Amino acid sequence: MNIARKAQAGTIQSSDLMVFVEPAAELVIEIESTVRRQFEHLIRAKIEEVLRSHGVTAGRIRVSDRGALDYAIQARVETALLRSAEE
Amino acid sequence: MVTDILGSADLASARAFIAKQGLQFDAHYDDLVGVFERGALVAVGAREGEVLKMLAIAPAERGGGLLGAVVTELARRVFAAGHDALFVFTKPEHVPSFEAMNFSLLASGGRAALLEHGRGLERYLEANRGAVREGANGAVVMNCNPFTLGHRHLVEEAARGVDTLYVFVVREDRSAFPFDVRLRLVREGTRDLPNVRVLDTSRYAVSAVTFPAYFLKRAGDAASIRLDLDLLLFAQRIAPFFHVRRRFFGTEPDCATTRAYGDGMHRILPAFGIEPVEIARKEAQGVPISASRVRAALRDGHVDGLEDLVPEATAAFLRSDEARGVRERLRAGGGRHA
Repeated sequence: MNIARKAQAGTIQSSDLMVFVEPAAELVIEIESTVRRQFEHLIRAKIEEVLRSHGVTAGRIRVSDRGALDYAIQARVETALLRSAEE
Repeated sequence: MVTDILGSADLASARAFIAKQGLQFDAHYDDLVGVFERGALVAVGAREGEVLKMLAIAPAERGGGLLGAVVTELARRVFAAGHDALFVFTKPEHVPSFEAMNFSLLASGGRAALLEHGRGLERYLEANRGAVREGANGAVVMNCNPFTLGHRHLVEEAARGVDTLYVFVVREDRSAFPFDVRLRLVREGTRDLPNVRVLDTSRYAVSAVTFPAYFLKRAGDAASIRLDLDLLLFAQRIAPFFHVRRRFFGTEPDCATTRAYGDGMHRILPAFGIEPVEIARKEAQGVPISASRVRAALRDGHVDGLEDLVPEATAAFLRSDEARGVRERLRAGGGRHA
Protein backbone atom coordinates (compact mmCIF):
# COMPACT_ATOMS: atom_id res chain seq x y z
CA MET A 1 0.00 0.00 0.00
CA ASN A 2 0.96 3.65 -0.41
CA ILE A 3 0.90 6.48 2.08
CA ALA A 4 -1.42 8.82 0.21
CA ARG A 5 -1.90 11.55 2.81
CA LYS A 6 -1.00 12.67 6.30
CA ALA A 7 -2.40 10.57 9.11
CA GLN A 8 -1.94 10.12 12.82
CA ALA A 9 -2.71 7.48 15.43
CA GLY A 10 -2.11 6.80 19.09
CA THR A 11 -1.86 8.95 22.18
CA ILE A 12 0.74 10.81 24.16
CA GLN A 13 0.01 8.73 27.30
CA SER A 14 2.52 6.66 29.20
CA SER A 15 3.06 3.14 27.75
CA ASP A 16 1.65 4.31 24.42
CA LEU A 17 2.98 6.08 21.37
CA MET A 18 1.82 8.61 18.80
CA VAL A 19 2.50 7.88 15.14
CA PHE A 20 2.51 10.44 12.32
CA VAL A 21 2.81 9.37 8.71
CA GLU A 22 2.96 11.45 5.56
CA PRO A 23 3.86 10.95 1.90
CA ALA A 24 7.56 11.25 1.01
CA ALA A 25 9.82 10.26 -1.87
CA GLU A 26 11.72 7.74 0.22
CA LEU A 27 11.29 5.93 3.47
CA VAL A 28 12.27 7.97 6.55
CA ILE A 29 11.69 6.76 10.09
CA GLU A 30 12.17 9.22 12.97
CA ILE A 31 11.92 7.96 16.52
CA GLU A 32 11.55 10.02 19.68
CA SER A 33 11.31 7.92 22.79
CA THR A 34 11.73 8.29 26.50
CA VAL A 35 13.54 4.92 26.30
CA ARG A 36 15.34 5.64 23.04
CA ARG A 37 18.79 4.89 24.36
CA GLN A 38 17.93 1.33 25.37
CA PHE A 39 15.22 0.41 22.87
CA GLU A 40 15.45 2.50 19.71
CA HIS A 41 16.73 -0.45 17.65
CA LEU A 42 13.82 -2.64 18.79
CA ILE A 43 11.24 0.06 18.13
CA ARG A 44 12.73 0.62 14.68
CA ALA A 45 12.78 -3.12 13.92
CA LYS A 46 9.10 -3.37 14.88
CA ILE A 47 8.11 -0.39 12.72
CA GLU A 48 10.07 -1.76 9.75
CA GLU A 49 8.36 -5.13 10.17
CA VAL A 50 4.90 -3.51 10.08
CA LEU A 51 5.85 -1.40 7.05
CA ARG A 52 7.15 -4.48 5.25
CA SER A 53 4.04 -6.50 5.95
CA HIS A 54 1.96 -3.69 4.38
CA GLY A 55 4.33 -3.27 1.46
CA VAL A 56 5.14 0.36 2.36
CA THR A 57 8.39 1.47 0.73
CA ALA A 58 8.12 5.28 0.90
CA GLY A 59 6.88 7.84 3.40
CA ARG A 60 7.89 9.76 6.46
CA ILE A 61 7.06 7.91 9.67
CA ARG A 62 7.47 9.82 12.92
CA VAL A 63 7.00 8.09 16.23
CA SER A 64 6.82 9.65 19.67
CA ASP A 65 7.02 6.78 22.13
CA ARG A 66 6.62 6.58 25.89
CA GLY A 67 7.69 3.04 26.49
CA ALA A 68 4.99 1.23 24.49
CA LEU A 69 5.10 -2.56 24.15
CA ASP A 70 5.44 -4.27 20.77
CA TYR A 71 1.70 -4.90 20.42
CA ALA A 72 0.96 -1.22 20.92
CA ILE A 73 3.61 -0.19 18.39
CA GLN A 74 2.20 -2.61 15.83
CA ALA A 75 -1.39 -1.49 16.40
CA ARG A 76 -0.62 2.24 16.28
CA VAL A 77 1.58 2.05 13.17
CA GLU A 78 -0.99 -0.11 11.35
CA THR A 79 -3.79 2.29 12.26
CA ALA A 80 -1.82 5.28 11.00
CA LEU A 81 -1.00 3.47 7.76
CA LEU A 82 -4.62 2.46 7.14
CA ARG A 83 -5.80 6.01 7.81
CA SER A 84 -3.18 7.38 5.41
CA ALA A 85 -4.52 5.16 2.62
CA GLU A 86 -8.26 5.64 3.20
CA GLU A 87 -10.30 7.41 0.58
CA MET B 1 -13.54 12.32 28.02
CA VAL B 2 -12.07 15.47 26.52
CA THR B 3 -14.79 17.76 25.18
CA ASP B 4 -15.05 21.20 23.62
CA ILE B 5 -15.82 24.08 25.93
CA LEU B 6 -18.32 26.15 24.00
CA GLY B 7 -21.30 27.41 26.02
CA SER B 8 -21.00 30.62 27.99
CA ALA B 9 -21.54 28.90 31.36
CA ASP B 10 -18.80 26.34 30.63
CA LEU B 11 -16.56 29.07 29.30
CA ALA B 12 -17.02 31.05 32.52
CA SER B 13 -16.07 28.02 34.62
CA ALA B 14 -13.04 27.36 32.37
CA ARG B 15 -11.88 30.95 32.89
CA ALA B 16 -12.26 30.61 36.65
CA PHE B 17 -10.52 27.23 36.62
CA ILE B 18 -7.57 28.55 34.62
CA ALA B 19 -7.18 31.55 36.93
CA LYS B 20 -7.35 29.29 39.99
CA GLN B 21 -4.41 27.25 38.66
CA GLY B 22 -2.37 30.45 38.48
CA LEU B 23 -2.57 30.86 34.70
CA GLN B 24 -3.83 33.78 32.67
CA PHE B 25 -6.85 33.30 30.47
CA ASP B 26 -6.02 34.32 26.91
CA ALA B 27 -8.89 34.81 24.48
CA HIS B 28 -6.73 34.01 21.43
CA TYR B 29 -7.34 30.33 20.73
CA ASP B 30 -8.75 28.03 18.04
CA ASP B 31 -9.88 25.27 20.40
CA LEU B 32 -10.59 25.21 24.10
CA VAL B 33 -11.20 21.75 25.56
CA GLY B 34 -11.70 20.26 28.99
CA VAL B 35 -12.59 17.22 31.05
CA PHE B 36 -15.64 17.27 33.33
CA GLU B 37 -16.14 14.95 36.25
CA ARG B 38 -19.51 14.94 38.01
CA GLY B 39 -20.28 18.27 36.41
CA ALA B 40 -17.04 19.96 37.50
CA LEU B 41 -14.03 20.82 35.37
CA VAL B 42 -10.90 18.88 36.30
CA ALA B 43 -8.71 19.67 33.28
CA VAL B 44 -8.52 22.41 30.63
CA GLY B 45 -6.31 23.12 27.64
CA ALA B 46 -6.32 25.27 24.52
CA ARG B 47 -4.55 25.50 21.20
CA GLU B 48 -3.81 28.43 18.94
CA GLY B 49 -2.44 27.21 15.63
CA GLU B 50 0.32 24.79 16.53
CA VAL B 51 0.74 26.11 20.09
CA LEU B 52 -0.88 24.51 23.14
CA LYS B 53 -1.51 26.76 26.10
CA MET B 54 -3.64 27.28 29.20
CA LEU B 55 -3.10 23.65 30.16
CA ALA B 56 -4.38 23.24 33.69
CA ILE B 57 -5.18 20.17 35.78
CA ALA B 58 -6.97 20.21 39.14
CA PRO B 59 -4.37 19.55 41.88
CA ALA B 60 -6.19 16.45 43.15
CA GLU B 61 -6.13 14.92 39.66
CA ARG B 62 -2.47 15.42 38.80
CA GLY B 63 -0.15 12.53 38.08
CA GLY B 64 -2.84 10.50 36.30
CA GLY B 65 -3.59 10.48 32.60
CA LEU B 66 -5.56 13.72 32.40
CA LEU B 67 -2.76 15.90 31.06
CA GLY B 68 -1.92 13.24 28.48
CA ALA B 69 -5.56 12.99 27.45
CA VAL B 70 -5.89 16.76 26.95
CA VAL B 71 -2.56 17.02 25.10
CA THR B 72 -3.46 14.04 22.88
CA GLU B 73 -6.77 15.62 21.88
CA LEU B 74 -5.21 19.03 21.22
CA ALA B 75 -2.31 17.45 19.29
CA ARG B 76 -4.82 15.58 17.13
CA ARG B 77 -6.49 18.89 16.28
CA VAL B 78 -3.16 20.63 15.58
CA PHE B 79 -2.28 18.00 12.97
CA ALA B 80 -5.83 17.87 11.59
CA ALA B 81 -5.52 21.65 11.03
CA GLY B 82 -2.52 20.96 8.79
CA HIS B 83 0.38 21.92 11.07
CA ASP B 84 3.38 19.61 11.20
CA ALA B 85 4.85 20.77 14.50
CA LEU B 86 3.54 21.10 18.02
CA PHE B 87 4.55 23.53 20.77
CA VAL B 88 3.57 24.09 24.38
CA PHE B 89 3.55 27.35 26.25
CA THR B 90 3.54 26.66 29.99
CA LYS B 91 5.05 27.55 33.36
CA PRO B 92 8.66 26.62 34.10
CA GLU B 93 7.63 24.27 36.93
CA HIS B 94 5.64 22.11 34.48
CA VAL B 95 8.53 21.56 32.06
CA PRO B 96 9.38 18.06 33.39
CA SER B 97 5.78 16.83 32.83
CA PHE B 98 6.08 17.78 29.17
CA GLU B 99 9.59 16.42 28.79
CA ALA B 100 8.20 13.06 29.91
CA MET B 101 5.87 13.31 26.87
CA ASN B 102 8.79 13.81 24.44
CA PHE B 103 8.58 17.58 24.40
CA SER B 104 11.93 19.35 24.50
CA LEU B 105 12.62 22.72 26.08
CA LEU B 106 13.20 25.66 23.74
CA ALA B 107 13.40 28.52 26.23
CA SER B 108 12.54 29.23 29.79
CA GLY B 109 12.26 32.57 31.55
CA GLY B 110 11.03 33.63 34.94
CA ARG B 111 7.33 33.14 34.34
CA ALA B 112 7.02 31.00 31.25
CA ALA B 113 8.56 28.23 29.20
CA LEU B 114 8.22 27.16 25.58
CA LEU B 115 8.67 23.55 24.48
CA GLU B 116 8.31 21.73 21.18
CA HIS B 117 7.24 18.18 20.53
CA GLY B 118 10.23 16.32 19.12
CA ARG B 119 13.62 17.78 18.28
CA GLY B 120 12.94 20.34 15.57
CA LEU B 121 15.36 22.95 16.91
CA GLU B 122 18.22 20.45 17.07
CA ARG B 123 17.47 19.42 13.49
CA TYR B 124 17.32 23.05 12.36
CA LEU B 125 20.69 23.87 13.95
CA GLU B 126 22.24 20.68 12.59
CA ALA B 127 21.02 21.55 9.08
CA ASN B 128 22.78 24.93 9.37
CA ARG B 129 26.03 23.64 10.83
CA GLY B 130 27.79 24.24 7.50
CA ALA B 131 27.13 27.99 7.83
CA VAL B 132 28.77 28.29 11.26
CA ARG B 133 31.98 30.36 11.32
CA GLU B 134 34.30 30.90 14.25
CA GLY B 135 34.84 34.44 15.48
CA ALA B 136 32.91 37.28 17.09
CA ASN B 137 29.79 37.14 14.97
CA GLY B 138 26.64 39.20 14.71
CA ALA B 139 23.01 38.54 13.86
CA VAL B 140 20.02 40.43 12.60
CA VAL B 141 16.50 39.01 12.35
CA MET B 142 14.36 40.64 9.69
CA ASN B 143 11.11 40.05 7.85
CA CYS B 144 12.26 42.07 4.79
CA ASN B 145 8.81 42.54 3.31
CA PRO B 146 10.43 43.43 0.89
CA PHE B 147 14.21 44.03 1.17
CA THR B 148 14.87 47.80 1.05
CA LEU B 149 17.88 50.11 1.02
CA GLY B 150 17.10 50.57 4.72
CA HIS B 151 17.73 46.86 5.33
CA ARG B 152 20.78 47.04 3.12
CA HIS B 153 22.16 49.95 5.18
CA LEU B 154 21.56 48.03 8.43
CA VAL B 155 23.29 44.92 7.05
CA GLU B 156 26.27 46.91 5.76
CA GLU B 157 26.75 48.75 9.06
CA ALA B 158 26.38 45.55 11.08
CA ALA B 159 28.69 43.50 8.85
CA ARG B 160 31.44 46.08 9.32
CA GLY B 161 31.65 45.40 13.05
CA VAL B 162 31.69 41.58 13.14
CA ASP B 163 33.54 38.62 11.65
CA THR B 164 30.43 37.02 10.17
CA LEU B 165 26.96 38.56 10.07
CA TYR B 166 24.01 36.16 10.01
CA VAL B 167 20.88 37.62 8.48
CA PHE B 168 17.93 35.51 9.64
CA VAL B 169 14.92 36.04 7.40
CA VAL B 170 11.58 35.41 9.11
CA ARG B 171 10.04 32.29 7.61
CA GLU B 172 6.48 32.86 8.82
CA ASP B 173 4.40 33.30 5.69
CA ARG B 174 1.95 35.98 6.76
CA SER B 175 3.32 38.84 4.70
CA ALA B 176 2.49 40.31 1.28
CA PHE B 177 5.81 39.02 -0.08
CA PRO B 178 6.06 35.23 0.26
CA PHE B 179 8.97 33.80 2.23
CA ASP B 180 10.88 32.42 -0.77
CA VAL B 181 10.74 35.82 -2.51
CA ARG B 182 11.81 37.70 0.63
CA LEU B 183 14.71 35.29 1.15
CA ARG B 184 15.79 35.50 -2.48
CA LEU B 185 15.77 39.31 -2.52
CA VAL B 186 17.88 39.44 0.65
CA ARG B 187 20.35 36.94 -0.85
CA GLU B 188 20.60 38.90 -4.10
CA GLY B 189 20.75 42.24 -2.33
CA THR B 190 23.66 41.21 -0.06
CA ARG B 191 25.60 38.94 -2.42
CA ASP B 192 28.52 41.43 -2.69
CA LEU B 193 29.08 41.44 1.09
CA PRO B 194 31.58 38.62 1.69
CA ASN B 195 30.99 38.12 5.44
CA VAL B 196 27.18 37.99 5.29
CA ARG B 197 25.29 34.70 5.47
CA VAL B 198 21.55 34.67 4.86
CA LEU B 199 19.57 31.98 6.72
CA ASP B 200 15.95 31.23 7.43
CA THR B 201 14.58 31.46 11.00
CA SER B 202 12.38 28.39 10.65
CA ARG B 203 9.90 28.73 13.55
CA TYR B 204 12.51 29.78 16.06
CA ALA B 205 12.54 33.58 15.83
CA VAL B 206 9.73 36.09 15.26
CA SER B 207 7.26 33.39 14.29
CA ALA B 208 3.59 32.84 15.08
CA VAL B 209 4.91 30.54 17.81
CA THR B 210 7.52 32.76 19.43
CA PHE B 211 6.18 36.24 18.76
CA PRO B 212 2.53 36.20 17.59
CA ALA B 213 2.07 39.89 18.41
CA TYR B 214 4.26 40.76 15.43
CA PHE B 215 1.64 39.32 13.08
CA LEU B 216 -1.60 39.76 15.00
CA LYS B 217 -2.47 42.89 16.88
CA ARG B 218 -2.24 42.07 20.51
CA ALA B 219 -1.04 43.65 23.70
CA GLY B 220 -0.77 42.92 27.36
CA ASP B 221 1.07 40.56 29.60
CA ALA B 222 0.73 37.38 27.50
CA ALA B 223 2.25 39.17 24.48
CA SER B 224 5.21 40.49 26.46
CA ILE B 225 5.92 37.05 27.98
CA ARG B 226 6.05 35.51 24.51
CA LEU B 227 8.35 38.31 23.32
CA ASP B 228 10.71 37.48 26.20
CA LEU B 229 10.68 33.79 25.21
CA ASP B 230 11.53 34.66 21.60
CA LEU B 231 14.62 36.54 22.81
CA LEU B 232 15.54 33.90 25.40
CA LEU B 233 15.38 31.21 22.71
CA PHE B 234 17.69 33.32 20.58
CA ALA B 235 20.08 34.01 23.48
CA GLN B 236 20.11 30.50 24.96
CA ARG B 237 20.09 28.33 21.85
CA ILE B 238 20.64 30.12 18.55
CA ALA B 239 23.30 32.72 19.40
CA PRO B 240 25.72 30.25 21.09
CA PHE B 241 25.49 27.88 18.11
CA PHE B 242 26.47 30.62 15.61
CA HIS B 243 28.96 32.35 17.97
CA VAL B 244 26.82 35.48 17.92
CA ARG B 245 27.94 38.25 20.30
CA ARG B 246 26.01 41.21 18.90
CA ARG B 247 22.45 41.51 17.71
CA PHE B 248 21.64 44.41 15.45
CA PHE B 249 18.31 46.10 14.84
CA GLY B 250 17.04 49.29 13.25
CA THR B 251 15.57 52.23 15.16
CA GLU B 252 11.79 51.91 15.12
CA PRO B 253 9.94 55.21 14.87
CA ASP B 254 6.38 53.99 14.31
CA CYS B 255 5.42 50.49 15.38
CA ALA B 256 5.01 50.05 19.17
CA THR B 257 5.29 46.26 18.96
CA THR B 258 8.61 46.40 17.13
CA ARG B 259 9.81 49.02 19.60
CA ALA B 260 8.86 46.76 22.53
CA TYR B 261 10.95 44.05 20.88
CA GLY B 262 13.92 46.42 20.76
CA ASP B 263 13.43 47.27 24.44
CA GLY B 264 13.29 43.53 25.15
CA MET B 265 16.69 43.07 23.51
CA HIS B 266 18.24 45.65 25.84
CA ARG B 267 16.57 44.00 28.84
CA ILE B 268 17.36 40.35 28.06
CA LEU B 269 20.38 39.89 25.79
CA PRO B 270 23.24 41.45 27.81
CA ALA B 271 22.90 38.81 30.58
CA PHE B 272 23.86 36.23 27.93
CA GLY B 273 26.90 38.13 26.74
CA ILE B 274 25.12 39.49 23.66
CA GLU B 275 25.31 43.19 22.97
CA PRO B 276 22.18 44.74 21.41
CA VAL B 277 23.18 47.33 18.82
CA GLU B 278 20.63 49.80 17.49
CA ILE B 279 21.37 51.35 14.12
CA ALA B 280 19.70 54.56 12.97
CA ARG B 281 17.50 54.21 9.90
CA LYS B 282 18.66 55.36 6.52
CA GLU B 283 16.51 58.13 5.11
CA ALA B 284 15.34 59.12 1.67
CA GLN B 285 13.94 62.64 1.09
CA GLY B 286 14.20 63.20 4.85
CA VAL B 287 11.93 60.27 5.74
CA PRO B 288 13.18 56.90 7.09
CA ILE B 289 13.15 54.12 4.51
CA SER B 290 10.95 51.26 5.60
CA ALA B 291 9.32 48.27 3.96
CA SER B 292 5.92 49.66 4.90
CA ARG B 293 6.75 52.83 2.92
CA VAL B 294 7.57 50.65 -0.10
CA ARG B 295 4.35 48.69 0.31
CA ALA B 296 2.33 51.91 0.61
CA ALA B 297 3.89 53.21 -2.61
CA LEU B 298 3.05 49.94 -4.38
CA ARG B 299 -0.47 49.98 -3.04
CA ASP B 300 -0.98 53.49 -4.38
CA GLY B 301 0.66 52.64 -7.68
CA HIS B 302 3.60 55.06 -7.16
CA VAL B 303 6.30 52.87 -8.64
CA ASP B 304 8.44 55.69 -10.02
CA GLY B 305 10.30 56.74 -6.88
CA LEU B 306 10.96 53.17 -5.77
CA GLU B 307 14.58 53.19 -6.98
CA ASP B 308 15.36 55.53 -4.07
CA LEU B 309 13.95 53.03 -1.60
CA VAL B 310 14.99 49.54 -2.76
CA PRO B 311 18.11 47.88 -4.21
CA GLU B 312 18.21 46.87 -7.85
CA ALA B 313 17.25 43.23 -7.24
CA THR B 314 14.12 44.25 -5.34
CA ALA B 315 13.24 46.90 -7.94
CA ALA B 316 13.60 44.33 -10.74
CA PHE B 317 11.29 41.97 -8.89
CA LEU B 318 8.70 44.69 -8.30
CA ARG B 319 8.63 45.46 -12.04
CA SER B 320 8.30 41.77 -12.98
CA ASP B 321 5.17 39.78 -13.74
CA GLU B 322 6.00 37.61 -10.76
CA ALA B 323 5.11 40.54 -8.48
CA ARG B 324 1.57 40.79 -9.79
CA GLY B 325 0.19 38.61 -6.97
CA VAL B 326 1.96 40.72 -4.37
CA ARG B 327 0.59 43.96 -5.83
CA GLU B 328 -2.92 42.54 -5.82
CA ARG B 329 -2.55 41.37 -2.22
CA LEU B 330 -1.41 44.85 -1.21
CA ARG B 331 -4.32 46.55 -2.93
CA ALA B 332 -6.74 44.17 -1.26
CA GLY B 333 -5.25 45.30 2.07
CA GLY B 334 -3.52 43.09 4.58
CA GLY B 335 -2.89 42.83 8.28
CA ARG B 336 0.03 43.94 10.38
CA HIS B 337 3.44 43.88 8.78
CA ALA B 338 1.56 42.40 5.85
